[in-house]
Amino acid sequence: MDKKKIYSKWFLVPSMTVFTVMFVIPLILSLFFSLTVWNFDGFTFCGIDNFIMFFEEQSLRIGIKNTLIYAVLTSGLKLIISFFIALFLTSNIRTKTLQRSIVFFPNLVSTVAVGVVFTALMHPSKGLINKGLEMIGIAGPDWLGNPDIALFSVIAVDVWKGLSIATVIFIAGFMSIDKTYYEAAMIDGANFWQKVRYVTVPLARSSMNSVIILSFIGGLRSFDLIWAMTGGGPGFATDVMASIVYKQYAAGYYGLSTAGNVIMFVLIAILAFPLQKWLLSKEVE
Amino acid sequence: MKKKVISLLLSLAMIGSLAGCSGGSEESASGDAASSDLPYAGEEISILWVSNSTMDGINALIDAAEAKLGLTVNLEQVPGGEDGDNVVKTRLASGDMADLLSYNCGALLSSLNPSEYFEDLTADYADKLDENFVNAASSDGVLYGIPATASQAGAVLYNVEMYEEYGLEVPKTWDEFLANCEVLKEAGETAVLGTDADSWTSQVTYLGDHYNVLAEDPTFAEEFEAGQAKYASTPAGLESFQKIADIVPYMNEDHMATTYDDGCDIMMEDGAAHWIILTSALSNIYELYGDEVNRLGCFGVPGDDAENAGLTVWEPNAIYMNKNTEKADAVKAFMDFYISTEGLDALAAAEPPCGPYCVKGYELPEDAYTAVKDMQTYFDAGLTNVALEFQTAVKGSNCASICQELASGQTTPEEAAAKYDEDCEKQAVQLGLDW
Repeated sequence: MDKKKIYSKWFLVPSMTVFTVMFVIPLILSLFFSLTVWNFDGFTFCGIDNFIMFFEEQSLRIGIKNTLIYAVLTSGLKLIISFFIALFLTSNIRTKTLQRSIVFFPNLVSTVAVGVVFTALMHPSKGLINKGLEMIGIAGPDWLGNPDIALFSVIAVDVWKGLSIATVIFIAGFMSIDKTYYEAAMIDGANFWQKVRYVTVPLARSSMNSVIILSFIGGLRSFDLIWAMTGGGPGFATDVMASIVYKQYAAGYYGLSTAGNVIMFVLIAILAFPLQKWLLSKEVE
Repeated sequence: MKKKVISLLLSLAMIGSLAGCSGGSEESASGDAASSDLPYAGEEISILWVSNSTMDGINALIDAAEAKLGLTVNLEQVPGGEDGDNVVKTRLASGDMADLLSYNCGALLSSLNPSEYFEDLTADYADKLDENFVNAASSDGVLYGIPATASQAGAVLYNVEMYEEYGLEVPKTWDEFLANCEVLKEAGETAVLGTDADSWTSQVTYLGDHYNVLAEDPTFAEEFEAGQAKYASTPAGLESFQKIADIVPYMNEDHMATTYDDGCDIMMEDGAAHWIILTSALSNIYELYGDEVNRLGCFGVPGDDAENAGLTVWEPNAIYMNKNTEKADAVKAFMDFYISTEGLDALAAAEPPCGPYCVKGYELPEDAYTAVKDMQTYFDAGLTNVALEFQTAVKGSNCASICQELASGQTTPEEAAAKYDEDCEKQAVQLGLDW
């Protein structure tokens, strides 16, 4: 008997049942219902009309663009900033534990609470940020009311909140680098930046990849912070795929919102899988 | 030591919970004794209340009903808007709806598929209620609801003292209105209050202008539903969007970050002269500032014809009866009480109305708000009409966002009107209309 087949395949049944009922069937159903106009009593088949509408109508299409901007910027900024924070927090400093806790604190607060607080801070005439800018003689913009910068204001808050997780991953990555590499580099006469460039970066590659993938996928499906801060507004300026799907569902356009979900699924799949593959191929060892 | 403290705390908690239990049972026992001669003693019914406005009125009415009928009413509130819509639709579909539902009438009612979920009330209530309301709370000629509150209007609330100070007259046309705004702006006042951080308030100017659209084009609503009339190509309809853009220069600088709640304060602090809003704001202001609310007057969104300056009226939310309720008798008795003079008096005493009630033969109390008395003159003169959402089921779901986008200067009125037409098409497709 083949040694690999010690266990009967029947052991797979419980988990496969759960997987089929909870994941496979809903996936197939949603693919089907995205091709229909449906409500809770029935449906009419309408082909790919829902998808056409999603790409044609400006208020729906803008979500795809905003989602990509949001995902790329949040993931990029988190990567760079948290890398340096982690570098600082693993260096030889006092009150290391305290500072690490402080960096982690934003993650302990609920996203909606963060959104509400920052909405107040970013108020153009009463908010703390603009009051502060006023004191040094700068007239601050309407952070969330100006359609040109509203998305970037939300991105900044998302980065602030998401830094902690990325930093923790980086710290773990840096700590696992063997000290002998640094010693060897030191003997070779490498300065600080050379050590970072030629020892830390390549050896922390796997944690860097985790940060990129996690924050990128997180950015693609982000919803809660945007909903709490702007509700997709002003107008549609900060609408992302998830908020549009939610709005279509709330309006009773179930077919259209299902189509939006399918688009979001495909978007995440075609971006995240190749990205992961590419990143893994760059890893050393 | 630690163990001792914990055991002490635990025993305290035990005693506390025991006391709580006995207190509870005593209360219910005395309740039973007192209510034994009441018709529905011990019955319990539930209401799901979808609304953002104050709850004083309904709470007072429930108290009165509980005292009179002996039943217990469990009130559960959900905020209105998209989140509320989601809750209602999900709970209806999952068979988890309360005995009574208070929710919008008009277009949103038909989106709930009422014949499947709600009891037919035509025989019981149709002849007791105002005709405009009956039309709005009906679907395919069947009445499903009774009015939950008083009616209201989408209109201009204005600061009466400021009008006197600058010697202004209530404008009869849009041009006069803008001229007034110009005077106020010159004087350094905020002429129009914008509360565009809450996108639903951005659309009130457009929605409240519907009287003027109908004045110019009486069949607009039917043609719109049939897909023949479009906002972008109907001059009177386009004008409604134009008005949103017209008032932006007169607004407070931070109008994109000002919320509805801020707006209530700003109007009372003399921070702005006009606010184009639903008159339900009067209740919110009354709750915060009491009788000072009488410093506000009201006029309809002005149109082009000074002779025909009217008011766009919103029918109130309706209360619908769950078809599958197991306590039909108690629920019906509660509804009867709701629209009785006794019930409405309780409602009006706790929460002065923002417009007339839709129950025939019931008159507004003497101490109604100044603004509501202003509204009454429109009703007396017959210069009222219902808002578009009570005439057609087609209401684009993105209306608020489109108007907010226009107010933020991202689009022109023409683009906004065209966008809204497109948005309505989605609703038409969902409703199975041939557009």
